[in-house]
Amino acid sequence: MSFLQPWLLIGLPLLLIPIIIHLINQWRYQTKKWGAMMFLLTANRMARGYAKIRQYLILAARMLAIATLIFAISRPLASGLLGFSGGKADTTIILLDRSPSMQERSEGGAESKLETARRQLRPSLKTVGSNRWVLIDGATQKPQEFDNVEDLFDSPATQASSATSDLPAMMQSAMEYLQNNKPGQTEIWICSDLRSADWNSDSSQWGAVRDAFSKLPQTVRFHLLAYPDAVEGNVAVRVTDVVRDQSQNGHDLLISLMLNRDEGRADAKNVPIQIEVNGSRSELPVELTGSSVEIKNHRVPIDQNQPRGWGRVSIPADSNNADNDFYFVFDLPPPRKTIVVGEDPDAIRPMELAASISPDPNVEAEVLTYTPEQAASMDWSDAGLILWQGRLPNEAVAKGLESFVKRGGSILFFPPTPSESGTLTGVGENSNPFAGIRWSNWKVEEKVMVENWRGDQDILAATRSGASLPVGQIELRGHATLSGERVSLASLSGGDPLLAKAVLQEVPSHEGGAYFFTASTSPKFSNIARSGVVLYIAIQRALDKGLLSLGNTRDLIAGAEDTQKEPWKKVAGPSEILSTEYAYQGGVYEGNERLISVNRSMTEDQKSTVEDTQLKELFRGLDLHRVESKAGSTSSIVREIWRIFLLCMIIAMIAEAALCIPKAFRPKGAMA
Amino acid sequence: MFTEGKQRSFLDSGVLARLGALPLMSRRPMLGQVSGRHASPHRGASVEFAEYRKYVPGDDLRRLDWRAYGRSDRFYIKEFEADTNLRCCVILDTSGSMDFGSVGISKLEYARRIAATLGYMAVQQGDAIGLTCVANGIVNSVPPRRNPAHLTHIFDVLEQVKPSGETKLDSILHELAETTRQRALIVILSDLFVEPEILRGCFEHLRFRKHDVAAFHLLDPEEIAFDFQRPTRFIDLEGGPAIFAEPSEIAERYQRALQSYLEDLKKVVLETGVDYRRVSIDTSFETVLTQFLVDRARGNAGR
Repeated sequence: MSFLQPWLLIGLPLLLIPIIIHLINQWRYQTKKWGAMMFLLTANRMARGYAKIRQYLILAARMLAIATLIFAISRPLASGLLGFSGGKADTTIILLDRSPSMQERSEGGAESKLETARRQLRPSLKTVGSNRWVLIDGATQKPQEFDNVEDLFDSPATQASSATSDLPAMMQSAMEYLQNNKPGQTEIWICSDLRSADWNSDSSQWGAVRDAFSKLPQTVRFHLLAYPDAVEGNVAVRVTDVVRDQSQNGHDLLISLMLNRDEGRADAKNVPIQIEVNGSRSELPVELTGSSVEIKNHRVPIDQNQPRGWGRVSIPADSNNADNDFYFVFDLPPPRKTIVVGEDPDAIRPMELAASISPDPNVEAEVLTYTPEQAASMDWSDAGLILWQGRLPNEAVAKGLESFVKRGGSILFFPPTPSESGTLTGVGENSNPFAGIRWSNWKVEEKVMVENWRGDQDILAATRSGASLPVGQIELRGHATLSGERVSLASLSGGDPLLAKAVLQEVPSHEGGAYFFTASTSPKFSNIARSGVVLYIAIQRALDKGLLSLGNTRDLIAGAEDTQKEPWKKVAGPSEILSTEYAYQGGVYEGNERLISVNRSMTEDQKSTVEDTQLKELFRGLDLHRVESKAGSTSSIVREIWRIFLLCMIIAMIAEAALCIPKAFRPKGAMA
Repeated sequence: MFTEGKQRSFLDSGVLARLGALPLMSRRPMLGQVSGRHASPHRGASVEFAEYRKYVPGDDLRRLDWRAYGRSDRFYIKEFEADTNLRCCVILDTSGSMDFGSVGISKLEYARRIAATLGYMAVQQGDAIGLTCVANGIVNSVPPRRNPAHLTHIFDVLEQVKPSGETKLDSILHELAETTRQRALIVILSDLFVEPEILRGCFEHLRFRKHDVAAFHLLDPEEIAFDFQRPTRFIDLEGGPAIFAEPSEIAERYQRALQSYLEDLKKVVLETGVDYRRVSIDTSFETVLTQFLVDRARGNAGR
């Protein structure tokens, strides 16, 4: 039980008053000489069990009356959410998960989990009270201060979004807020549906955050308001690919989409899919028999005079409307222009070949080759990728290349060709760096294999079907070494990197960047060119990333990054959302003459939740109180129950009065 | 009658004067030594016709009813009731419990007044009066006499008696039943703190000995009401162990015990034909005695 005024409980010893009065009464007895002792002796001999019990009951009723009065004025709460101590916090931080999964409704319910959470939290927090209110929402993950609870829950930052929450990041943000502001007793309320996608329980960030919280000097208590129940039968739609196809019959969009629902469902369900392209709608009936169905290259004709446009795929309303829409944009793909700069023809030839073969037969690839001396005069404004083999560029050229990378372009650096003696020229401490990275020297070895690589992201990631790239088949007979701060994407057996990426703060991760291949593509030093697959895929992926900044359309994951640098204009999407929220709300927007689609992440369609054991581990050593609720629940999580105690006090007093009434024994007049 | 002129605290001349007009009557025939105003079990020479009986040789011929002989040609002796005096034995309980009194007078003092007044009235009408003071034994015993000088001795004994000791009324009553000559008026002045079933034997014994038994059951109002407010340590006036009690807790059971005792006692006295008078000592003893004498004079005593 929790109390809003727990300090009043120090009055609990007052319930000894009846006992003390009783003892004092016993102590101040009178002495009486008495004749009729035989009646006293008889009375004493009579069964006195009930009389004794009655006395104890009267005493207990009096003590209960005092105790309930003290409890009542201590303002008890009907929830254990506050722990035993309760009391008004100095700062209350609300971590609100407003991801699409929080918009799930219970079966037949009209209220989503997020709406229920807001409705339950608002009066509860108002009751508990706090000096300062801070909201960290799952989309922005930034702390926002409010004067009162009403303002907090009226804030647009508490409304539903399409962005997946990142609980470790939100915890980190809360911790930084506490470190910066140094408040007193702090209550942190986490309101979430415990989806694994939001909690990311495998993240190494949890350990650091947990340690940081446990070291804070002030008392920090966590209250988890969880909505883990999932409703069965929800169907989610997702567009997996949109390709603009140009044939003799005209221009078409080839839309690949996927319907998902709960695992293990086998009943057939007809789902009419509404496809809207540039405002014109068509319907595609689909029978969903298993847990998912994928439709490949559904052809939708488009106006050939309209090079770009947007579309939306929708399914009928179900228990979660947040995953019933998916937006996409399309455009003529930008030319796949690659610039190759190199000094060794053997090394640059495989690069030229890998860059010149376009994966899309409708889009031509263009490769321009320059020597390092010509680099200063080359035009890379419409290029997506620069392949640089040889010594790193001088300061002037490097400055231009850095602006190219910051614009979103990709650069792959390959090492200079070593001399016969196995040394590199123009490298070392005195050479020009690029993004803080330099070539160090050349290691000649008999045979070096790749030991590990990042198969989950970036240009060596596994394919969409899950197959790994054959990076392990690469064999090197020498490789360059690097110095400077970088992120290793593939490592050789000796620990040296095969592929590293420069750390550039202003470059979004999904766009280009500066990569360093430490192996030479020359057949003399590796089999990279001969096997070709890894080189081709890496170059094409780097080119795709680089082209993202050149295309007139972009597909973004809601809230993935703070991408709304310039003002956007809404083209399609939910109404009544603020322009500052565009990056976190699914829809189609136009900004800087580009069409941008914003959608929920792929992980939002996964329904797995964090296990209790995992949750305990995440908050190991921290003071966590958990309360379960569900969408549409009408119960209050924190409710004052002093009236019940007052009622108990009245009952105790009535019971005491009833027990004190002398038994209805009417002596027949003794003198009769 | 009071030749010494000594003032007795337990004698009220006003009361004696007012009660002087009322006779002290017995409910059953008494066996006195001299002629008196009470019925005798024997035939005597009073003016009140009793019965005829057949003449048997040896009867006094003067008592033959010649008229009856003339009518029936048979000899009948005409008999008349005999009047005699009575012997009144007052048994005064002087146990420690008789010292209790919450209305300015103790039970013993109240008993003294009744005993003295009855003694005076008995001597006044020519009856003999005796006194036996009892506690855990016979403390003092004055045999019945009917001369006025004897009354002074009775008063002296009443004046000197002190309350002490336990109540052993049952054994003493049995003893007195045996030692007192038959057909006497036995007046018991006591709080009767003895189990009614034990008293039953005593009363039946007295009845068997053809005594006319009258019992004044003296009770203090506080003993009846038991309306204490504070926890009280009750000290036994008869020397028994003290009892500590919370009145609010024990009062109900005390009343239950008292009621049970009184009901049982009532039953015993009805069944044994005792002229039982329950007296609260806050009642004027004159009223009690008046009622006692009037009832006896009317012949409904003991009802």
